[in-house]
Amino acid sequence: MDAPEDYVWPRATSELILLPVTGLECVGDRLLAGEGPDVLVYSLDFGGHLRMMKRVQNLLGHYLIHGFRVRPEPNGDVDSEAMVAVFGSKGLRIVKVSWGPGRFRELWRSGLWNMSDWIWDARWLEGNVALALGHNSVVLYDPVVGCMLQEVPCTDRCTLSSACLIGDTWKELTIVAGAVSNQLLVWYPAAALIDNKPVAPDRRVSGHVGVIFSMSYLESKGLLATASEDRSVRIWKVGDLRVPGGRVQNIGHCFGHSARVWQVKLLENYLISAGEDCVCLVWSHEGEILQAFRGHQGRGIRAIAAHERQAWVVTGGDDSGIRLWHLVGRGYPGSGVSALCFKSRSRPGTLKAVTLAGSWRLLAVTDTGALYLYDLEVKCWEQLLEDKRFQSYCLLEAAPGPEGFGLCAMANGEGRVKVVPINTPTAAVDLTLFRGKVHSLSWALRGYEELLLLASGPGGVVACLEITAAPTGKAIFVKERCRYLLPPSKQRWHTCSAFLPPGDFLVCGDRRGSVLLFPSRPALLKDLGVGGKAGAVTGALGAGSGSGGGETALTEWGPVSTLPSLHGKQGVTSVTCHGGYVYTTGRDGAYYQLFVRGGQLQPVLRQKSCRGMNWVAGLRMVADGSMVILGFHANEFVVWSPRSHEKLHIVNCGGGHRSWAFSDTEAAMAFAYLKDGDVMLYRALGGCTRPHVILRESLHGREITCVKRVGTITLGPEYEVPSFMQPDHLEPGSEGPGLTDIVITCSEDTTVCVLALPTATGSAHALTAVCNHISSVRALAVWGIGTPGGPQDPRPGLTAHVVSAGGRAEMHCFSIMVTPDPSTPSRLACHVMHLSSHRLDEYWDRQRNRHRMVKVDPETRYMSLAVCELDRPGLGPLVAAACSDGAVRLFLLQDSGRRLQLLAETFHHKRCVLKVHSFTHEAPNQRRRLFLCSAATDGSLAFWDLTTVLDHGSGALEPPADPGLPYRLGTPCLTVQAHSCGVNSLHTLPTREGHLVASGSEDGSLHVFVLAMEAPELEEAMGGDLVPQLHVLEEYSVPCAHAAHVTGLKILSPSLMVSASIDQRLTFWRLGHGEPTFMNSTVYHVPDVADMDCWPVSPEFGHRCALGGQGLEVYNWYD
Amino acid sequence: MGRTSKDKRDVYYRLAKENGWRARSAFKLLQLDEEFHLFQGVTRAVDLCAAPGSWSQVLSQKIGGQGSGHVVAVDLQAMAPLPGVLQIQGDITQVRLSTAKEIIQHFEGCPADLVVCDGAPDVTGLHDVDEYMQAQLLLAALNIATHVLKPGGCFVAKIFRGRDVTLIYSQLRVFFSNVLCAKPRSSRNSSIEAFAVCQGYDPPEGFLPDLTKPLLDHSYDFNQLDGPTRIIVPFVTCGDLSSYDSDRSYPLDLEDGSEYKYTPPTQPPISPPYQEACTLKKKGRLAKELRPQDCPISTVDTLSQPLAAPQRHTLLAPEVRKPVAQGPLCPFSEPTVEDSEMNCSP
Repeated sequence: MDAPEDYVWPRATSELILLPVTGLECVGDRLLAGEGPDVLVYSLDFGGHLRMMKRVQNLLGHYLIHGFRVRPEPNGDVDSEAMVAVFGSKGLRIVKVSWGPGRFRELWRSGLWNMSDWIWDARWLEGNVALALGHNSVVLYDPVVGCMLQEVPCTDRCTLSSACLIGDTWKELTIVAGAVSNQLLVWYPAAALIDNKPVAPDRRVSGHVGVIFSMSYLESKGLLATASEDRSVRIWKVGDLRVPGGRVQNIGHCFGHSARVWQVKLLENYLISAGEDCVCLVWSHEGEILQAFRGHQGRGIRAIAAHERQAWVVTGGDDSGIRLWHLVGRGYPGSGVSALCFKSRSRPGTLKAVTLAGSWRLLAVTDTGALYLYDLEVKCWEQLLEDKRFQSYCLLEAAPGPEGFGLCAMANGEGRVKVVPINTPTAAVDLTLFRGKVHSLSWALRGYEELLLLASGPGGVVACLEITAAPTGKAIFVKERCRYLLPPSKQRWHTCSAFLPPGDFLVCGDRRGSVLLFPSRPALLKDLGVGGKAGAVTGALGAGSGSGGGETALTEWGPVSTLPSLHGKQGVTSVTCHGGYVYTTGRDGAYYQLFVRGGQLQPVLRQKSCRGMNWVAGLRMVADGSMVILGFHANEFVVWSPRSHEKLHIVNCGGGHRSWAFSDTEAAMAFAYLKDGDVMLYRALGGCTRPHVILRESLHGREITCVKRVGTITLGPEYEVPSFMQPDHLEPGSEGPGLTDIVITCSEDTTVCVLALPTATGSAHALTAVCNHISSVRALAVWGIGTPGGPQDPRPGLTAHVVSAGGRAEMHCFSIMVTPDPSTPSRLACHVMHLSSHRLDEYWDRQRNRHRMVKVDPETRYMSLAVCELDRPGLGPLVAAACSDGAVRLFLLQDSGRRLQLLAETFHHKRCVLKVHSFTHEAPNQRRRLFLCSAATDGSLAFWDLTTVLDHGSGALEPPADPGLPYRLGTPCLTVQAHSCGVNSLHTLPTREGHLVASGSEDGSLHVFVLAMEAPELEEAMGGDLVPQLHVLEEYSVPCAHAAHVTGLKILSPSLMVSASIDQRLTFWRLGHGEPTFMNSTVYHVPDVADMDCWPVSPEFGHRCALGGQGLEVYNWYD
Repeated sequence: MGRTSKDKRDVYYRLAKENGWRARSAFKLLQLDEEFHLFQGVTRAVDLCAAPGSWSQVLSQKIGGQGSGHVVAVDLQAMAPLPGVLQIQGDITQVRLSTAKEIIQHFEGCPADLVVCDGAPDVTGLHDVDEYMQAQLLLAALNIATHVLKPGGCFVAKIFRGRDVTLIYSQLRVFFSNVLCAKPRSSRNSSIEAFAVCQGYDPPEGFLPDLTKPLLDHSYDFNQLDGPTRIIVPFVTCGDLSSYDSDRSYPLDLEDGSEYKYTPPTQPPISPPYQEACTLKKKGRLAKELRPQDCPISTVDTLSQPLAAPQRHTLLAPEVRKPVAQGPLCPFSEPTVEDSEMNCSP
């Protein structure tokens, strides 16, 4: 027997938990949120916003919190002190807290009381707590002493799925129990004359055809609401339930959710329900839906709470996010559509186009060529001018800028453009630019210094007009600066334009979906000889060829850089420059992030907008630093926030094909469109920002499938995060250099997330989410970790390359750069650049008539990835992928990740390959050798010698049967039958004897062995074609190490190993003395853990370990 | 994705359809039998939580074929009839003697040789709730089994191998001399399900089966939660290696040369709880939210409840931008504030 302290060391302690929010309760000005065993306390600050105040840790041990009950104090003030009963699963604990404005103190906590059965509901009865238990019984419990006072079962001891306790004394206590038979049973525990004698139910209520998940009773109106598996909410008129024998009448059967309804809550005038469809609905008691709150992601909303005085609804999701909603709607006062009543006898003609100059002036043009102004404040129409030349065809665009610069432009079918100052329409300037139709008009504004108007004419010619104002402000000057030529296409005109700061270039989008870069002063650039060369050449080619024959013979300048058909055939809809990037949107349902380097446009990242929104019309940066996407979703105009996944505004406008205009300022947003010959206007105060509604950012909507730590950033004290809490709450040792671990996670929700985990605060910040995948992402691999300025640069920062892979045999490669940014809560910013992608079935997308054919391809999933960094200079790393079709595939990444191609494959396993792991063998006098280990569902491990495989002429790589196919990897150099079934974790560590290999399996077993290498010495290898020999030396198996799949495994040192399993235990094992021996284990809270990563942080901080599954948990221990 | 996608992802799903099994789980029982010879000498078998009936199909084929065999299937839901299987529609968690009595009656007073239960609750996604509900289902099945099983009989039930599975093992070991955890190869690696195979029914001395009291699951004794003394029963993988791999995605043309033909599911679910909601949705009759802008020139708030005055939001980073003069045109003299850096290159 070893010394007892050996079993204690090292001990892992939980540091951070991100789990579904399963309990929410509003108490006075506070909000309690239950996350795992912890309670998050939010408090209303002086500005009227809820802010996180305190995390009360580990209240329920290994149980999860499902609810809170605050003891009503007869004379006490719940705003300064409260007794909170916290319950979940079979656990109950009472905690007494003192909370005032800006402070929180835990005064006392009881023991953690374990019940014999599941707790469905709890209720304070004076000093005791009544509990409704899993098999239809009620218990009276003294929570201070921790003893049961009374237990009364029902005669019908069925399993319950929910329960609701009513009444404030034991005598009047009523239980409404939702049985698995879909019935509601109402009974009275106090009816038991003798203790423990079962009580018969007083009433049975049927109605639902599915299990009842939640109920809520409103005493003042005698109503009961139930939420069920059958996707409906029922409202029952029950009267006073505490009186036996009352009549129960179903007064509402509400169908509105598209999936199971998890939660329901009755308020005085409303009913709120939320469910698996991630929607929270506000109903009237008559069963009408008044509001629908959408924004949570993943598997649904698990908890709801309401703050009646503030008219707030708070929801907690499976995505671990907490959101606040305004009961009256989207929090935009003044929103609504109004018709501006254009039609009048004094205003002949029908409207053709509408535009907004700022958010308070609207311009419209009719088919009589008349331009009208509508002032939203004065609320009346005013004719500005009438010009018959603009009657049959007229484009209308107001200049950008907060108030539209007081300018608008009109263009007609004969090449004529008119620039109109709105306040002095008589000063309008006319120009004839082309012989044919003007196809499009757009503005470009640089600060307040330079204003350009671009007009597309026939033959892809774009005239660039420079507009200046006289210092008196009474006149404007319009001068044609230059002409540009678009690349040939059928519909050859530009659609949008913007200055690229500092202003030397214009970024334009065209109808063919291309994004183009033009010099803003080509003549000047040519004179200087900078960058204009390409333009001049193209321009020279373009000159004279099909130009519209403007009045002055100007050179037509071609683009200096083009991204052809970036947005597909439907065209680019907008370009925006912000924060060093160019953002473009298109009618392909996507928006691109680009940047310009060396005068060339480069795509950075393609992001998709919300589902079903195929027409992205624009993009706006809002004041809080996030962006909103404008677009058309069927016949609705939608303002969508990618940050909160929420539709901020929805206007049923009939689609984007009619003339419309959008404008937003910090104070208000406006959307105008033509409908039924009138101008309709939607206005909302507050612009596009939604401040303080996300109480906590969500992480992944579905299970995390892989966790990888990238590196650590040390932020100096200048980046100190100001804390909301008082300094005495900070633990000692948390000052000093701020170490922040950068971790990436991927999930079944198709996204990859970059997280910052500071060691000091125990918080997590999601820096970026990358959503390129069309299916779930299952694996990640990282390589090439460095600093942005190179190894000599002392500034903090981190760069790395990441490969992600998952369903539909899809793989993406991108680079991340994390740099300090004092403006964000994490003090860090992450820049992502997409480099390359690969899909095995790409050919299928190019196939015609594919809807008629049956796709025989197996639809492979990538299960795991490993990066093998080659030592040969110039050759990028190899990426090995474990594939569900039974193959191990090797990909070659070249050109620092910009090219990804399939190199070789093997079907050696013939079964789904679950894991791949790469390692290098280095020994003195031997060549560095690269090995790959793969493991499949049959429990076998195969080792491949990649160095030999890649040696040309070694013969290990069989040439493919068909030139288009990849090489075939020969036979492995060693196979080991380690387990009886699937291998779910794999790790190696080099030791003196060779390599320590450990694997964990589905059957809960661990397998550890030493792999010895007999590699040829360098001199020998030069002569012959010697390959290394692999032997298994010591082999040990631990059959019942865990009770479920071992999904995480790490050999920390030759004598220490840590394993994690779906049975929610993190276990340390001692190695090196024969069989691995159990040291200790810790129960963690994340279910379905799919991956684990461990890394040493610093000697003071010890090790950190991140577990990813249905949530994320971080543990640490000291070495 | 299309309808063939599931056929590729899950070969057993496809094989079940092609072989006329009502669900792919039929292969699980067949593979369990391969390992444990569950049906040897069995004449009376009970299938609890039988719907949609694939295990009953296997039982009737394996036992019913022996002439004297009897199979009783119990489920809460209605199930399409099967030849040679007597169906009882009843709730096994509803603690009433009637179900057990009915079973015994059908066996003409003789106890059963084998009780199987492949039931699982409709998972909610909340792991602790799902695991608890599964445990309750298993304990209810065990409670019935204590009434109908002969001494030495065998009990097979689905378990979820989650955090507290060891408690279920310790409980099963009270009643059976031999408890194993088995996973057939047709059950996916990614699934946490497994089967508790309990052989040799041997209730503790003095145990009186009592259906009026539910069996409650055990709780952790001292040190059982995270200590080294957790009871983890041996794990057995069933089915031979040459069988299909349930995790592997196969091309539609399998290696045996048979040509792929799409087969519709054998037995679609009978009246699921969501049926009415789906019908309403199809007809577009789900309640929809009332939007103010759907009725033009409307008042602002649709709700009658008074609310606090709207709060002006504070900007995180107030932009320094001077107000623009509302004259005809302001001179272009204002310096630009944003978009000043364009040299960032990640």
